[in-house]
Amino acid sequence: MSQATPEVLENFKAKAGLCGATVVEAASLSEVAQYVVDVCANKTPCEILADEPGVAVGPEKGPNGMPTRAQRIIAAPCVDEKVFAELKKLAEEKGFACLDGGLRKHLSGIDVGLSFAKCGVAASGTCLVAGTDEDARLAGMISEINVVVLNKSAIYPDLPSVCGILRDLQKDGQISYNTFISGPSRTADIERVPAVGVHGPLELHIILLED
Amino acid sequence: MHEAPKTLSEYRKNIEEALNDEYLRKTLDTFAVAYRANREVVFQEVDEKALIRQIADAKDDAAKHMDELYEQFKAEAEKRGVIVHRAATATEANEIIAKIARENGCKRIVKSKSMTAEETQLNVRLEQDGLIVDETDLGEWIIQLRHEGPSHMVMPAIHLNRYQVADDFEKETGEKQDTDVQKLVKVARVQLRRKFINADMGISGANFCVAETGAIATVTNEGNARMVTTLPRVHVALAGLDKLIPTLDVAMTALQVLPRNATAQRLTSYVTWMCGASPCAASPTGKKIMHVVMLDNGRSAIAKDPLFSQIFRCVRCGACANVCPVFRMVGGHKMGYIYIGAIGLILTYFFHGRENAKALCQNCIGCESCKNVCAGGIDLPRLIREIRARLTDEVGPNPMGSMMTVAMKNRHVFHTLLKFAKFAQLPFTGGAQFQRHLPAFFLGEHGYKALPAIASKAFRDRFPAIKPNLPAPRFRVALFSGCAQDFVYPEELEACVKLLAAHNVEVDFPMEQTCCGLPLDTMGQRKTAVDVAEQNVKAFDAGRYDAIVTLCTSCASFLKHNYPQLLADGGKAHTASAFAAKVMDFSSFVHDVLGLKPSDFNNSGEKVTYHASCHLCRGLGVHEAPRNLIADAATYVPCNEEEVCCGFGGTYSVKFPEISARLLDKKLKNIEETGATRVVVDCPGCIMQLRGGVEKKGLKVKVSHMSELLAENMKKK
Repeated sequence: MSQATPEVLENFKAKAGLCGATVVEAASLSEVAQYVVDVCANKTPCEILADEPGVAVGPEKGPNGMPTRAQRIIAAPCVDEKVFAELKKLAEEKGFACLDGGLRKHLSGIDVGLSFAKCGVAASGTCLVAGTDEDARLAGMISEINVVVLNKSAIYPDLPSVCGILRDLQKDGQISYNTFISGPSRTADIERVPAVGVHGPLELHIILLED
Repeated sequence: MHEAPKTLSEYRKNIEEALNDEYLRKTLDTFAVAYRANREVVFQEVDEKALIRQIADAKDDAAKHMDELYEQFKAEAEKRGVIVHRAATATEANEIIAKIARENGCKRIVKSKSMTAEETQLNVRLEQDGLIVDETDLGEWIIQLRHEGPSHMVMPAIHLNRYQVADDFEKETGEKQDTDVQKLVKVARVQLRRKFINADMGISGANFCVAETGAIATVTNEGNARMVTTLPRVHVALAGLDKLIPTLDVAMTALQVLPRNATAQRLTSYVTWMCGASPCAASPTGKKIMHVVMLDNGRSAIAKDPLFSQIFRCVRCGACANVCPVFRMVGGHKMGYIYIGAIGLILTYFFHGRENAKALCQNCIGCESCKNVCAGGIDLPRLIREIRARLTDEVGPNPMGSMMTVAMKNRHVFHTLLKFAKFAQLPFTGGAQFQRHLPAFFLGEHGYKALPAIASKAFRDRFPAIKPNLPAPRFRVALFSGCAQDFVYPEELEACVKLLAAHNVEVDFPMEQTCCGLPLDTMGQRKTAVDVAEQNVKAFDAGRYDAIVTLCTSCASFLKHNYPQLLADGGKAHTASAFAAKVMDFSSFVHDVLGLKPSDFNNSGEKVTYHASCHLCRGLGVHEAPRNLIADAATYVPCNEEEVCCGFGGTYSVKFPEISARLLDKKLKNIEETGATRVVVDCPGCIMQLRGGVEKKGLKVKVSHMSELLAENMKKK
């Protein structure tokens, strides 16, 4: 299937950019795995925002004066087994932990969370991200950088055109928890000055995947 | 939590405080200007009017089927493991939630923003049980630390500056805080994460409750609602019955307007769809303990009201405050009780009682800015007037309203009073155009502008001598003068007659016409407003004319849009509609119907700027005609914030002179900055306000009606 016309794809990139997301493209899941590990390697270590028994603390304080993780964490729950194995291998080569669950142990913060979008909405640069699985949800909430993979074929022009997809996730007594995500966590509650990362991710990266 | 003012004088004292808050002034000013520009950009990509219509229709339909939607929502949600409650009152909702906390042994509660929880004052109740309740929306957390209520539905702490926030955070954390906003935001990140982790119950609101699937949705930017609904083992959502919608499609439509209107975003960072009790590792069952409390608190009764049911089209975007010139002056704490802005004035009456509403609901200048942007197309200014009318019935009229009714019920009495006034004022005017010598104690706060004098000879007495006598007129029009032009500015009407006659238009002036009734309706004097409306419709035999032209845009907008409503009950709806259909403002008539063009004028080259009267640009949707006409007759110089209210608002300037004066100051400053020697206006009310200000300040700007500019520069045939 190939839904997105070049115009829709361009519009998605433009609108995602406007709401503060970083948009990149990848030809394969291997490239995705490499991107995630690179992003993790290039960031400052995650700040530990709450008590976490047994956590190893690094030498540097974080930008907000909190201690930081000695070992970086990448979370990739609900990811295809083969892809997860590849990612874990790359991560461990760099000395990072790579988790596919158990994120409640790390609510004080992780470095990178990898999520997969059901579809995208070009008009607002939005990804519909499934979070019924609690760890999948947490990966996008407690990470400093949330990387979302979106198949190019799953980008639709506007909200009404993805209504059917959302309905399918809720119909026939199904239980689900899904989120339209557009850009990183943000606020303008103090003097209307825009600021990111008040609660959730400081950065949102969207990888547009050829399919 | 602030108190609602109970009397106008108490209210005006509160307002004075806000007006003297320089920080608030500056913030809201910057915001108003930025919001308008940003909103325009994001709406260019969608069909705004069509979406608003769709939201209005869908939500009207939902309000009609509130009970069925509730039953369907409850059945679908319960199929998915959610417990759904219906609370008749605010107290009942609070008790249900306190009981859920008790039964689940909860101690620590995190909340994401919910206006409905503000409505019920939920935190107060929960704290009585010794529960620790922490707000997690940054703005809500700040005002919670200060023990204040929100001053905006979307930006609850917009009234505070970084230094105040830094002080509050210092008290909360016991540590010195940097005043850099980025750093302050991170204080919340650090402080609140622990609270999310330690909480055993999360309370959220809901922007939508979808009947077809039992799902609820929250629309947020910070992501705190996701934390609140994910980390603790118990989740309670509190929402009004008006949040019920039949299908996801309705939400998709509303979501294209809500964020654009609220914060000029295409979509907020997070729109979270919670359909059923999802997995939760913190819960003993592995499933979230999830409750939805649907609050009635009068909603099901209002849903049956043919007029007021439209308030449930509200999606709580806050746009009515964002564009309100009064909000811009006084901020949310002084323009609402718990709900703020135009919709807040109305909701206060319904949810928090007439005692809390009676002073507040006077504070609408009637400029229609809110109606123009409302996501649900709610006729907010009309509903506010309607509430004033109800309050007149329920708690009695205010003295000024009663006086007006006595004077205006009978046209002869009213017009005799006006004519008598021209003698009574003589000692104060010395025969000039302004009442220069009014004793100061009489003026009080009204001293910010010079008041006009009653004309020596009313237009109705001048008309017989100037009535055109044309053998084969192109058009026949009747003039509706309005009181101000008939008795204060007859020369504006004379200019109009001169211009129309020169273009072969026959003009009539039916002598039995009287006040249009807008000032009465604004004062809650509904019955007298209906009386004068009947008199006017009777005075004009609408069928005889091509148009009923009025040079007062407030009259025009009221005659056109409100007469059919006012006279709907007396079996006169048909004649009222026929009358209303003929009503036209002066600029539209000469531009669109007469088709005046540059060649009809000797362009004076004078630099002339424009003030767009509220009832012309928003009330009647007329934007181009007046600007083209100015450019035909002179050099048009655009003015900053041309379509923002001048602060007159009829009786509003008498009730709230302090606010009116500030709005006038701003308008005059913008006019002065154009460097124009003249400002042209289409409404005598604005002229009264602007001339009064210009005279008082001694500015070198002439204030003219459009008719005067055009008549002065027209080519002689």
